[in-house]
Amino acid sequence: MDVNFLFVSALNGVVYGAFLLLTSLGLSLVFGLGRVVNFAHGALYALGGYALADVMRRAGLDYWPALVAAPLVVVPLAIVMERLTIFPVRNRPEIYTLLVTFGVSFMIIGGIEYAWGTGTVLIATPRPFTGTVSLAGNQFPLYRLFAATLSLVVSAGVFAFVQLTPVGLRIRAITDDRDMAESLGIDTKWILTLVFGGAAGLAAFAGALGAPIFAVQPEMGTGILLDSFLAVILGGLGNLPGSALGAFIVAMTKSIGGGYIADWSVAFLFLVVGVVLVLRPTGVLGRGRVA
Amino acid sequence: MAPAAVAERRTLSSREIWGQLALPLVAAALLAVPFIGTPAFTATLLNEALIYAIWALSLDLLVGFTGLVSFGHAAGFGLATYAAGYFAREVSADFLLTLAVSEGVVVAVALVAGFIATRVSGVAFAIISLAVCQVLFQIAVGWRSVTQGMDGLVGVPLPRLFGRAIAMGPAFYTLSAVLLVTSYLALRWLVGSPFGRTLAAIRSSELRAAAVGIDVRLHKWAAVVISWAVAGVGGTLFVFMKAGTTPMVLHWSESGNVLAMTIFGGLGTLLGPVAGAVAFVFLRDELTTHTQAWQFGFGLVFVLVVILFPNGLAGVAGRLWSRS
Repeated sequence: MDVNFLFVSALNGVVYGAFLLLTSLGLSLVFGLGRVVNFAHGALYALGGYALADVMRRAGLDYWPALVAAPLVVVPLAIVMERLTIFPVRNRPEIYTLLVTFGVSFMIIGGIEYAWGTGTVLIATPRPFTGTVSLAGNQFPLYRLFAATLSLVVSAGVFAFVQLTPVGLRIRAITDDRDMAESLGIDTKWILTLVFGGAAGLAAFAGALGAPIFAVQPEMGTGILLDSFLAVILGGLGNLPGSALGAFIVAMTKSIGGGYIADWSVAFLFLVVGVVLVLRPTGVLGRGRVA
Repeated sequence: MAPAAVAERRTLSSREIWGQLALPLVAAALLAVPFIGTPAFTATLLNEALIYAIWALSLDLLVGFTGLVSFGHAAGFGLATYAAGYFAREVSADFLLTLAVSEGVVVAVALVAGFIATRVSGVAFAIISLAVCQVLFQIAVGWRSVTQGMDGLVGVPLPRLFGRAIAMGPAFYTLSAVLLVTSYLALRWLVGSPFGRTLAAIRSSELRAAAVGIDVRLHKWAAVVISWAVAGVGGTLFVFMKAGTTPMVLHWSESGNVLAMTIFGGLGTLLGPVAGAVAFVFLRDELTTHTQAWQFGFGLVFVLVVILFPNGLAGVAGRLWSRS
């Protein structure tokens, strides 16, 4: 076994894991809060990539301001989507949120193909991160390291927000016991909408940040959506630290496994998830009932 | 004699008579389609709808009757297209033999996949079933020596039944219709059997079902395997009809399509998914010829049906029926 190859695969795993962390945290937060399972999360991720490309092209903006603008374009759309599609089914079993957002993901991907075509949009690596960096004798793209670091910082910010701020306290209260939180005067509907918008913003940000690494195309969200779901299930549904752990298990399995058996990386990942679920149906850090 | 016999002999209301006659009438009408001067194109679409109907029925056993929402129901269907297509091309195109082989493959994979997927329920089951289907999709793309990758498996011959080739058109249509009616009757018998009643108990509450001594996991596992097996009948017909298959039959959007047919028709009704499959095939044909935004339109209809008509066509029809 080539140690260098293993090293680079592991490094790529960390980079992918950092992206997966951004998308998984959003999925997990929204699920924990409102029992909403957002299948359109991957489509929102793709929308982030397209919003970035469009803002750069039409407004003539540089990559960095466009990276800030892309989530700001997607968040209002996501809030409208939440009000129109998820809100009406909020009192039905949670599987309905999955069904509704499944339909929405078709609408978003169809809309993307209608507006921008089915082709791939390439985004150039932004300056000043165009070069590579030498790590233990391997040339590794600098932008990947930067993007991974930024993802980790933003994810840490999300954790801090949930743990340390008054709104975060309310989020945790609703996640713990929605009826009790409501009876204490917390406006759960408003907070769910806010968190849904925020989670969509995180997904769009991940899509935009990843655009120079992974190509922008209509189906770009499908793979990361499935991986995020697996991460969230592995960690225990609705459990934030569990989702973070799950994201890195999924990313490392995929990257290291995929490095050796490229065509079978999904099969290998599923094997790992299968073994975990057979041993612990509630996920690694999950407690109690399987949702 | 016992009072039960008296109740048997009471006169049926006209509505009950129509209710009893509906199924044989629908079956007869379906079988007659290619022989009453139906345009070939319409008959071909309807043939495709009959095959999809078998697939949608099999999903209804899981979603409507057991409460397990699968987001990867392209798995059994798509796997059968590959198993049947490969066997028919390489070994023998005898329909019954091909069906037996593809069912063997589908059931073997379903036993493994179902064992893992039924460790969880609800949302997690939906996602794990999607993951299973993605694995099969990737194998279909990657195992080129057997599947020919993205090019797809081509050159599947016409099926043969008792030594005679079944041509596309009325002969194959009849075979599809007969298998649909058989699948329908078998599933109707199954959901009414003690096994089916047990699945209904699991659907209404897994906890309660477990509390009265039902082995919930074993029953869910069996439901998954039976559902895949029925879907495999559809997949076997489909590969013959198209004379080949591609990895796109295992694409996640196909799982969405079959879920749409089933929900659109009406969960837990059996006749609903058949109507849903027919509606789906003709709607898709209309939309794809008149607009480029098929996917968007499909998503919109899906969302509206889930929000406004969660009981589907069958629910709407049932409401009109009871009001009349």
